Amino acid sequence: MIKRVEVNYRGIFQKNLGKKIGSDIVMIASRMGQKAFSNGRYSDSPERNGIPCKYFAFVSPDVPEEELEAECGAKLEIDEANISVVLDDTMCKGVEPWGWHGIRPINERVVKDGCLLVVSKKKPEELLKFIGKKPYNYRIAILDGDASLAGLWVNKDDMTHERILGGIAAIDPAVISIEAVEAYLLEKTKQKHRADAARAAYESLRQEAKPPRVKTVTSNDGIVWPHKIPVLPKWFEMQEGAVVPAVKRGFEMGPRGQSRNAMFKRGTTKTQRPAVRFDLCTKCTLCWAECPDECFDPTTDGFYDIEYQYCVGCGKCAEVCPVKECIVMVDELQFEDDHSPWEHWKKDSKEYIQWVEGKKGKDRVSYPFVTGKGITVTQGEVMPEGKIVPVRKTEEVEV
Amino acid sequence: MSTAPTIDYERIKGVKNVPLEELYTSGHRTCQGCESATTMRGFIKAAGSRTVVTGATGCMYVANTSYLTTPWIVPWMHTQLGAGGSSAVGMAAGLRALKRKGKIKDEKINVINFSGDLGAGDMGIGGISAALQSDYDLLIIMYDNESAANTDIQATGSTTYGAQTTFTPPGTKHPIMQRRWKKNVAGMLAVGHPTCKYVATACATYPPTDYLNKVRKALSIGGPTFIHTYDPCPKGWDYHPRYSNELGELGIKCGLYPLYEIVEGNIIYTYDARKTGKGRIPVKEFLTKQGRFEHLLPEHFTYIQKMVDEMWEEWEFPGVAPIKGILKARI
Amino acid sequence: MSVAMAKAKSDLSGVYQREDLLNGCQAVAQGVRLADVDVIAAYPIRPYTEVMDALSKLIADGEFDAEYIIADSEHSQFEIVKHASSVNARAFGGSSGTGWMYGMEALVVTATDRLPPLFVVGNRALDDPGAFGVEHNDAMAIRDMGWLICWVTTPQEALEHVLIGYRIAEDKKVRMPMALAMDGAFLTHSQHMVKIPSVEAAKKFLPQYDLAERRLHPDNPISVAPQVNEDWVMEIRRQNWEAAKRARVVIKDAYKEFNDVFGDRYSAPYYFEEFMTDDAEAVLIGAGTVAAPARTAVRRLRAKGQKVGYVNLRWFRPFPTVELRESLSRFKSVGVIDRDFAHGSPDNGGILMHEIRSCLYPAKNRPAIVNFIGGLGGRDLSIADLQKMYETTQQAATKDSMDEFVTWIGLRE
Repeated sequence: MIKRVEVNYRGIFQKNLGKKIGSDIVMIASRMGQKAFSNGRYSDSPERNGIPCKYFAFVSPDVPEEELEAECGAKLEIDEANISVVLDDTMCKGVEPWGWHGIRPINERVVKDGCLLVVSKKKPEELLKFIGKKPYNYRIAILDGDASLAGLWVNKDDMTHERILGGIAAIDPAVISIEAVEAYLLEKTKQKHRADAARAAYESLRQEAKPPRVKTVTSNDGIVWPHKIPVLPKWFEMQEGAVVPAVKRGFEMGPRGQSRNAMFKRGTTKTQRPAVRFDLCTKCTLCWAECPDECFDPTTDGFYDIEYQYCVGCGKCAEVCPVKECIVMVDELQFEDDHSPWEHWKKDSKEYIQWVEGKKGKDRVSYPFVTGKGITVTQGEVMPEGKIVPVRKTEEVEV
Repeated sequence: MSTAPTIDYERIKGVKNVPLEELYTSGHRTCQGCESATTMRGFIKAAGSRTVVTGATGCMYVANTSYLTTPWIVPWMHTQLGAGGSSAVGMAAGLRALKRKGKIKDEKINVINFSGDLGAGDMGIGGISAALQSDYDLLIIMYDNESAANTDIQATGSTTYGAQTTFTPPGTKHPIMQRRWKKNVAGMLAVGHPTCKYVATACATYPPTDYLNKVRKALSIGGPTFIHTYDPCPKGWDYHPRYSNELGELGIKCGLYPLYEIVEGNIIYTYDARKTGKGRIPVKEFLTKQGRFEHLLPEHFTYIQKMVDEMWEEWEFPGVAPIKGILKARI
Repeated sequence: MSVAMAKAKSDLSGVYQREDLLNGCQAVAQGVRLADVDVIAAYPIRPYTEVMDALSKLIADGEFDAEYIIADSEHSQFEIVKHASSVNARAFGGSSGTGWMYGMEALVVTATDRLPPLFVVGNRALDDPGAFGVEHNDAMAIRDMGWLICWVTTPQEALEHVLIGYRIAEDKKVRMPMALAMDGAFLTHSQHMVKIPSVEAAKKFLPQYDLAERRLHPDNPISVAPQVNEDWVMEIRRQNWEAAKRARVVIKDAYKEFNDVFGDRYSAPYYFEEFMTDDAEAVLIGAGTVAAPARTAVRRLRAKGQKVGYVNLRWFRPFPTVELRESLSRFKSVGVIDRDFAHGSPDNGGILMHEIRSCLYPAKNRPAIVNFIGGLGGRDLSIADLQKMYETTQQAATKDSMDEFVTWIGLRE
């Protein structure tokens, strides 16, 4: 018997976390007398901030190590997972690590009766609005919490790592048992609160726990997956000399007026998206000028529409926007589609403002300079239509 | 629609006059908030569509183009890590010969290479030096994110003193392992190539349009030219992607990254803290906003500040060349 | 060959412009001029340097128009050539020995980018210690990289193979880089009377270079060689494999076309030429200038009634497997002359021997094979040396002991 655990994480932000989880599963399973090893998906490296990546851990009580390696290790991607851990719930909208991979469902690898373990503040039902249907039953378990994002050097010690280990123990003790997790954490760190965090997570995910956080997902739950998975061309269908046609030149004013790379949209990289109040926009152009992903489309009336399919949610536009509440970064799971906000606003500005403020909600979640030092949540303010309040003066240096 | 120009460049007056059309477009595998992507987007906006580009191995190669897709609208080709200069010379020479022999239309075609700090500043510096000695019209852009970012952040000759990288981890015996002072690439190239008409440093987003106009100046002045850009790197510098713009600005304002252009031997400071009345901000304000300096001890901040003060107060050509003048008496 | 030359004289007015005394390097330079090369990148290293000396003088005197770039290293030199080729300019470079190895990275990508510039390799021993003399290991180091590699034996052939080389390399069915190898000193620096084709004849034979849909130009927006992950490399390697296979056919066509313009200069199967092999029982095979003492030895042994012959291998990549197998399996024994070494290889023999032996493995009648390592670092191979090799090769037909399977020729021992 082989148990496969995959950890889906956000490149760089969760690189150390993902690897730590994979490694500790091996350490703990080994102490339980099992054969185990772990690796990352090689082609994810070099990782880019936000790009969906994977780390794996494989455990077996009876299969020899070499056979385990052959079954699981000698390939760059696994075929199935008993547990798919998701360290950031916005990945439930699908993952697209590379061009020509397509946007793939987060539960793609989950086996029958397997489990999707998601770190989230949402309910299973809210996540299933984005997750693809499976032909069989599996479970979805919610480990209560915010996505733990940190940088390459300064890590965030918010116990997510310990809690995931406890969660896995609750979902499938055959991988790692909670006793083994506690013993390992205690021995390794000499800090009881780490073992306690694992235990608390374990308790929260047991069947009898109140409120129940594990739901059985049937073949009726989830959505019909809207994204096509591309079929790779054969060797004689590719141009020789590793030549690829350039993106066809094309530009006109208005939504989607700029030609873009059709085979690699990567909008699923984002955890937040910029929500715009066009009525507050001073047309300063900074959002457009500063965007590293060219996803602002200039409109004939001097505004800048956003092509969300290509936006990776870096937040630069919100940061440089000189007007209070004009561009605000909002949780990506608030949005079902990528429709043009400018067209929406043009159609019915009152309705749009209502809609966008609804999406924004009250909380304004932002990060300090050093990502790993935790998020700050402030209260936003609903600005009356057209009320422009500057937050910083724009600098127009002429040299 | 505003199309990007090809020749007879006008200076871009203010962000509102930046060409709207993208020639490096959405759909590249760069990091969230990647400043180097903005550097790519900017140079080709300024140069326009009658341009051929080579990109040396590095982030802006591997991240930008995942095979059978590309973000480039203009012709682009990969070149080897140390071949930035030679790739530009090869293309420029080929195009010149074909035009002279009437094998292709005689028109201005910009030739641009971009290489990272590892490719341009370390491995490829010999080839770039040779390119700057040539008489071909070409532009080499060194996008400097201060590490081998594509191999997951190793120190290069351009990494800021004290920074953490996988080659320079802080340890119990050695609190900092990056003990080399940043290589002065632009200054070195300017000083070493008397016939090169244009060498500049720049930052893609600060001051606004400064970089775009430097690219245009480089492409229209004639002969080989070089621009060194400071590219904050959210991944390697460990700051949240939304602050890329601000990090570039702070790096310049604290004096670590001098902004200047050298036009036919004349230095023009395109940001000069001495003229702002406020002076340089303390380097600490820049360094403490990045995870890669989290481990620095007070004496390290002091040392970096001292070195930067020296750059601006003791160098004969402040921030450009580490020459303090002529000794009156022999030592 | 002399016969062919006679024929050429008779009915080829206007094909040759003049006859002149040229060494191998100068002959190559004339070939480059006649190919109307657009970009040349130079960097000095003996013995090939004289090619570049000759070219710069031709340009200085206005006899030839090309961009001439003095590079800062072989790596830069080869990259300049590669990128000139990518914008649809016919480009030329070259090197020798360790210089060739210094630019190895650029040589590798020129092949995988499927670009067709021509490089001359003035074969030279690899350091250390520094040595100027001929050895074939430099050119052979790229044998598995997707290059065309061919050896010439005279200045006349050297000149002609610049034209033939570009013709094959640039063919749209091929588009592979071409390495024209010639022995240091013995060919690069020895002067012979060379018939120099007229510009018209050269033009008639060699079409203009056209990279067409793969050229880098604003009118043809493409991206060349984006980063690939594991999903793509196999398919790209397979494409290059097919090109190398197609090259075998194109090579034959090129020689036929060359003969049409210049008279019957070369005879089938073109990849190699046989000398007095019709009823031969023992033959030697080698590449490069060793052909001269070898053929002389054959003449002298034939005079004594011995059934020996010589096979001069011209094309090493693509390897003429089928034709060579068919040819060599006619003989009782084959002696392979290697002006190279392959330390630690099977039988510690030479590279050429290992290739020929594996080529003969499926043959119905396998000849006995012996290997000679000789002429390393520029040491000469005399007629006497060659006669000794024939002796050993003849004995191999009857001897089954492998004791002297590999013989070092001219070694002090």
